[in-house]
Amino acid sequence: MLLASAADLIVASPLFVLFMGSLTPLIVKVLNKNKEPNNFLSMIQGVGTILAALLLMVTVYFLLLSRANPFAFSNLIAVDGIAIIASTTCLLLALASLFLMRDNQSTNGDQFAELVFLTLNSVLGMLVLVMATDLLTLFVGIEVMSLALYMMIGISHEQKLSKEAAIKYFVLGSFASAILLQGIAFIYGNLGTTSITVLTEKADLLIGQSPLFAVGMIFLMIGFLFKVSLFPFHVWTADVYQGAPTPHTAFMSTAVKMASFAAFARIFVGSFLVNHDSMLNILQWIGAITIFAGNAGALVQNNLKRMLAFSSVAHSGYILMGIIVIGLGATKLGMTAVMFYLVTYSIMNMGALAMVSFLEKSYSDEISTDHIKGLAYKRPWLAGSFTVLLISLAGVPPALGFFGKFFIFTQALDQGLLWLTLWAGLGSVVGAYIYLKPIVYMYMIKDDDQNEVISEAAKDHEVYNNRKWFTKTVVLASAFTILVIGLLNTLLYHLLSARL
Amino acid sequence: MLLSQIILFPLLAAIILLIFNSKSDLLKQAALGLSLAELLLGAKLFMAFDPSTASLQLTENYSWISQFGISYSIGVDGLSFWLVLLTVFIFPIAILGSWNSINKSQKGYYASLFVLQTAMIGTFLSIDAILFYLFWELSLVPMYFIIGIWGGARRIYATVKFFIYTMAGSILMLLAMIYLILMHKELMGSYSANLLDWYKMQIPFVGGVLLTPQTLMFFAFSIAFAIKTPAFPVHTWLPDAHVEAPTAGSVLLAAVMLKMGTYGFVRWVIPLFPQAAQYWAWLFMVIGVIGIIYGALMALVQTDIKKLVAYSSVSHMGYVLMGLFALNQMGVTGALYQMLNHGISTGALFFLVGMIYERTHTRQIAHYGGLAPFMPWYTIAFLIITLSSIAVPMTNGFIGEFLILMGSYKSNPVWAYFAVIGVVLGAAYMLWMVKKVFYGPTGKELSGHKDHLVDLSAREWIILSPFIVLVFWMGLRPNDFLNYSRHSLEHWVKNQSSYTLDVKK
Repeated sequence: MLLASAADLIVASPLFVLFMGSLTPLIVKVLNKNKEPNNFLSMIQGVGTILAALLLMVTVYFLLLSRANPFAFSNLIAVDGIAIIASTTCLLLALASLFLMRDNQSTNGDQFAELVFLTLNSVLGMLVLVMATDLLTLFVGIEVMSLALYMMIGISHEQKLSKEAAIKYFVLGSFASAILLQGIAFIYGNLGTTSITVLTEKADLLIGQSPLFAVGMIFLMIGFLFKVSLFPFHVWTADVYQGAPTPHTAFMSTAVKMASFAAFARIFVGSFLVNHDSMLNILQWIGAITIFAGNAGALVQNNLKRMLAFSSVAHSGYILMGIIVIGLGATKLGMTAVMFYLVTYSIMNMGALAMVSFLEKSYSDEISTDHIKGLAYKRPWLAGSFTVLLISLAGVPPALGFFGKFFIFTQALDQGLLWLTLWAGLGSVVGAYIYLKPIVYMYMIKDDDQNEVISEAAKDHEVYNNRKWFTKTVVLASAFTILVIGLLNTLLYHLLSARL
Repeated sequence: MLLSQIILFPLLAAIILLIFNSKSDLLKQAALGLSLAELLLGAKLFMAFDPSTASLQLTENYSWISQFGISYSIGVDGLSFWLVLLTVFIFPIAILGSWNSINKSQKGYYASLFVLQTAMIGTFLSIDAILFYLFWELSLVPMYFIIGIWGGARRIYATVKFFIYTMAGSILMLLAMIYLILMHKELMGSYSANLLDWYKMQIPFVGGVLLTPQTLMFFAFSIAFAIKTPAFPVHTWLPDAHVEAPTAGSVLLAAVMLKMGTYGFVRWVIPLFPQAAQYWAWLFMVIGVIGIIYGALMALVQTDIKKLVAYSSVSHMGYVLMGLFALNQMGVTGALYQMLNHGISTGALFFLVGMIYERTHTRQIAHYGGLAPFMPWYTIAFLIITLSSIAVPMTNGFIGEFLILMGSYKSNPVWAYFAVIGVVLGAAYMLWMVKKVFYGPTGKELSGHKDHLVDLSAREWIILSPFIVLVFWMGLRPNDFLNYSRHSLEHWVKNQSSYTLDVKK
């Protein structure tokens, strides 16, 4: 049997391009006698690679569309609707993250070339993950994505918290991966294959008949629950998100979540929840408790990054509602709602964390609510954009975040998940309080120490922060997108729905 | 296109204001000019409106979120007509009222006011559920900033409380709306969020059983609107928000925003869930009565004038709730009239309180006394508005309260007896306050401010005179106003159990 045909190689070409491109900053560095090349140049290499991969990805998708067979490498990967939506979003998010890394003090300077390499490889893993139609490819994707991330967090210039975060993430992540692999083994034992396509066809029958298969599915799910930080596997999130450099937090909380949830959703296409009431109930409880655990955790935080970390846990809960809908058989509608929410959430959270990254004055700076006192009067545009993002996260119309929730709630109610929707709705009221807090500090509390003598160092930081052009662009662009797509949400919905 | 212009023009005005230099006087003048232009659009609506029909007029309908049958559809009828006019009428006055009292970040302030106006008018004109929800929630954001940035000492507590209370109610409403969209698909075969389509649905109802669709959704909507109204157990955000808000914020809150709640009952709750509304009418009558008496009793013991006026709002809105759930012609007509009256009298009262606060920087009743000789015209204006607020015949308040009491007597005499106690209490707290503030020996705290105690300025006259004219006009010739709503109200009362609304071609 031929290992791979030319057609397969074409399908995988974005992955090759990403990997080859990721090597360029390293090669430049080596040729430069291991001196750190200009950060800006490294970033441009990364950006160029991402754009090339993006272009190829779209081309491949449309080529395969005409062939009506999205699979390649004997059904190991596929460039179908889920893959194209998730991968383009992940690539764009990686692009934005590179912008943030270039500007942020804890990531730029030394070892930036390595960071670009790791980021691109992490995206490579994500692409494999979202394209995977085989459990083993899926596992490889998760591992490539995660291993790169562990290192990215570890090589931060910040010495204490980020090292702790890297270790925590690594140890716990390895555990989760092991459980996931165990689950794959159980499923293989029952199914005789690791193909997700076969799994989704037979899951709804097997789940009732074979307890071992159910155990396999549960293990598989636990692996994913960890990756997307759902209760009770969400506890690492706050520490890791807080400890990691902010650009990485932005990258993790958006792109990783996007890719993991896309793969997670693929498994649920089998609509096996219809035949397994207890699993349905447990997942519903996980969703409801996640929303409350996330929002309640965020309530007491003054550290903006930690607050956003908890809020991202809550958002995972909402997305899980959509996943449950898919598992109940409303594949297309549920998938559209999930993808819509993921895209929405990614834009909002990327923008919000970009704002935090903008405010940081040194590599170990921690931005708390006190740092943004009276910000609206110093930086009206950025504060305004941040407000738009926060209001969108809270789910107040006409911002985009509202429509994400609206579509998820609609599908959940359509499937009769009345109580879950009610809990989710009440949870989002608690959420509103959290997102109002930074707005209160920015607009309604004056900065008391305005008359204090500003030190030279502080002035330098101020000047430096003023030059974070890329970060500013990300903040403004995401706020703008939120408002525009908020009103034109139908376009995005149909764009996604037509692919799924 | 007229209605869209009325909704969207203030939004445009907000954007226009952003180009001005925030320190210049031109900004205020531009804001005033733009709000007067909006008033002209209101006048155009007045001319275009046809009072001889109960149908929905000047409708516009564009597809928006087509996959769930959600559209941008708006229209006006006799129920919303006066509320829209009240909104466009009150804004220029509110801007004039903030002329000297708002000194920081004026640009943001006036822009917020205009966004608020768009949201409020949009709420009154929306015929689509999700569009309604959008405007309803949008109105929170500018008000949140107005209270939070330009408010008093405890402004942050007040504004966050205001936001969270309203949001908690409206989330339930959103879920009920989604449920109705899905139900329309089930019963009628297609998704629709259009209110006119919803009216045609027969929503299953079993009296006394809580977990039936109609009862559940009735309460989901009612809680949202009751919080906004504010009805008795969920009213606590109101005194805080009113006291901390800047003058214009309090005026808009009282005059327009509270009406969004009661308007919600008229437009959404009662016609959509007629059986549940009839079954549970007693509950809302009781809540209304408790609101009337409780609000009045609380007002009696307040030491802060603004807080007193805030609690009087709770009392007055109790009447509106009672009138609505009397579910007969008189009660509902009175309720609609009382909504306008309350907008006028309480709006004016907040302006008056603001004016004296600007002079003396205190709102404690105990600090005042013997104000009448210093400010005779101000005293007269205050008295006229007070008489309107306590519903003395010949003023607008009398017509509204009388109709409501008649209506509720017909529907259930017992609650009407109790409500009459509120009328007496209302006179008591207002007149006692007037006596303590304007008559008797000169207050100790005032002696230091005697130079500031000048009578009404030209600007203040311009603010107050429209209110005073309206108090008497609405009190003496109520039919000039009610004629515009008569057909809609008759249609509403007659077809209660199977209410539908058609569109005027």
